[in-house]
Amino acid sequence: MLAVYKRELRAYFSSATGFVFMGFFLLIAGFFFARINLFRASPNYNAVLGEITFIFLIVVPILTMRLMSEEVRQKTDQLLLTSPLKLSDIVLGKYFAAVTVFLMTLAVTCLYPIILSFFGKLAVWEIVGGYIGFFLLGSSFISIGLFISSLTDNQVIAAVATFTALILIWVLDSLIQALPTSQASGIVFAAILVAAAALFVYYTTRNIYVSVGVAVVGVAIFVAIYLFVGSGFFEGFIGRAFKWFSLLDRYSDFRLGLLSLSPIVYYITFSSAFLFLTVRTLEKKRWS
Amino acid sequence: MIEVKNLTKRYGQHVAVDSVSFTVNEGEILGFLGPNGAGKSTTMNIITGYISATEGTVKINGIDILEQPEEAKKHIGYLPEFPPLYMDMTVQEYLDFVFAIKKVDPKLKKKQMDNILDVVKIGDVRGRLIKNLSKGYKQRVGLAQALVGAPSVLILDEPTVGLDPKQIIEIRSLIKELGKKHTIILSSHILPEVSAVCERVIIINKGKLVASDTPENLSKRLGETSKMTLRVAAPEKQVIKVIKEIPGVKYVEAQGVYEPDTIDVLVEAEEDIDIRRSLFHALSRAQYPILQMKSMDMTLEDIFLQVITEEKEVS
Repeated sequence: MLAVYKRELRAYFSSATGFVFMGFFLLIAGFFFARINLFRASPNYNAVLGEITFIFLIVVPILTMRLMSEEVRQKTDQLLLTSPLKLSDIVLGKYFAAVTVFLMTLAVTCLYPIILSFFGKLAVWEIVGGYIGFFLLGSSFISIGLFISSLTDNQVIAAVATFTALILIWVLDSLIQALPTSQASGIVFAAILVAAAALFVYYTTRNIYVSVGVAVVGVAIFVAIYLFVGSGFFEGFIGRAFKWFSLLDRYSDFRLGLLSLSPIVYYITFSSAFLFLTVRTLEKKRWS
Repeated sequence: MIEVKNLTKRYGQHVAVDSVSFTVNEGEILGFLGPNGAGKSTTMNIITGYISATEGTVKINGIDILEQPEEAKKHIGYLPEFPPLYMDMTVQEYLDFVFAIKKVDPKLKKKQMDNILDVVKIGDVRGRLIKNLSKGYKQRVGLAQALVGAPSVLILDEPTVGLDPKQIIEIRSLIKELGKKHTIILSSHILPEVSAVCERVIIINKGKLVASDTPENLSKRLGETSKMTLRVAAPEKQVIKVIKEIPGVKYVEAQGVYEPDTIDVLVEAEEDIDIRRSLFHALSRAQYPILQMKSMDMTLEDIFLQVITEEKEVS
C-alpha cells in the first residue's frame, strides 16, 4: 500500500494537479477569510470553513479524476493487478494519497486562525472541531470521486460525473422537501428499494436464487416493520431515506463547533462504503 | 512451470478463448502464435491473473492463480502488449516502485537492480523521464519491469512490436539468454521470431488451440507435399507437356521467364513420391537441359496459413 501511496503522492506534484488543487483551494479560502474575518473584524473562523464547503464541488473532481481512470488508460493497471498487491492496497493507497494532498492544503489554511490569534483570544477547540468536520466531509467527497474514477477510463468523464454527483448531494436537502411524504409513497419506495437490491444482486452474481432470497428477506423486513413498528414508519420514509445520504446536514454540528461521535462515525462509514465499492468495481472488471 | 487446463473465456455470447490446454515445462521457451484477435493476449492476461477465466484453471509452479493469487503472482513477470509505464516517472523511480509492489526483499534489491539494468541495457537512461524515451527503450523498461523479483515464469506479449530490426535482434537474443533460467511464454504474430527463439510452438486461432509442436516438427508434419521449382532451357509449352506426362506429377504451372530462353515451372508431386529422377530423365530425353532444381520447403508462414485455414483441432 505504501508504494502505491508514495507513487500517487509524487504524481500529484510531478504534474500540475496537486498545485492546481492547492492553489485554487487556497485562493478561495483566502478570499473568504479576508471577507469574513479580516474585513468584518470577526473572530468566527468556523464561519469561513462553513462558507467554503462549496469548493469541494470544483476541487474534488480535480483531485480524484485521474486516480483510477488514468491507470486504465495508460494500461498501468495491468502492472498493479498482476503484481502481488491486494486490490484493497491499491485503492487505499490512492485514497490516502488524495486525502494527504487535501490535508496538506488544510495545513496551509491553519495560517488564517494563527493570524487571527494575534488580534485576540480564539476559541481554539471550536476551530479544531470545525477542521475535523471539514476534513471528514472532504474525505467523504474524495471517496465518491475515487469510486467514480474507477468506473471509466476517461478523466473528463470521471471529473464531470463526480461534479454531478457532488451537486446532487449538495441540492439533496432542498430536494427532500419536495418529496412526497404520504404513507402510500413510503410503501412504494420501500418496494422499489427491495427490487433495486434484488436486481443489483442478480446483475453482480447472475444467480436467480440468491436474488430472489434477497427480495424475500427485504419484503419480510418491511412487512415486519409495518406490523411491529407501525405504519407511521412509512410516513415521510422517502425523505428520511434520502436524508441519510445528506453529507452536508451532518456537517452543521461541526460548523457550530460541536464535536459529536455520530457524524464522525457516519463520515468514516460513508468513505469506507465507497472504497469498498471501488474495490468491488475493480474486482468485477476482471470477471466480466 | 505453467499448467493451463481447459481455459475458456466468454464475453457474453462471444467466446474469446475456447478450452485451451497446454503445459510449459521448466526452462522452456514456448511460442504462442496466432493472427491478431485470436485470443493470445486474453490467454496471457488470464495466466497472469489480470482477468479471470470463465472456466478452467491456471497453475504457476503448482499454485493456482485464482485460489492463491498473491502467492502465484510472485512467480510471474509480465510484459503486456503495451508496456505498463508511468510516463511521469524516471526509469529509476519506476523500477523502485515495481520493486516495492512486487515485495522484493530489500536486501536483494541492489544486486537485482544492477543485474536487470545490465541485462536489458538501460543503465544509461535510468535518470530520464519515461515519457521522453524512445519506443525501443520503453519496451526495454517494460522488460526490465517483468524481470523484477527474479520470477521463474516470464510472460511476454509481442515483445518486439514497434522496434527497429537491430533492436529486434537484440531483444530476441536477450530472450534466448533469459530462457536458460526462466520458463517463458512468448506471443507473436511474426513467425521468424518464433522459429528463431522458441523450442515449442502452439498456434491458436479464433480462441482454439490448433497446433502444438516444435517448429521443426511442424514443418515436417505439415510440409510433406513436395513442391519444387525448375528452370529449364526450352519453350514453355513443350516443357509443361513433357512434365505432365511423368507419372506421379500432380500439378504443373509456369512461373514466368527469369532468364532469356528459359522457363521457370512449379511442379507438385503426389505425396510420398520422389519425382526428381524421373523429371531429370524425361527432360534430358527431350533435350531440355535443367539449369536449376530447387525443392520448396514450407516455412512457418505456410504452415501457419495452412493450419489456420484447415481449422483442424489437435487433441
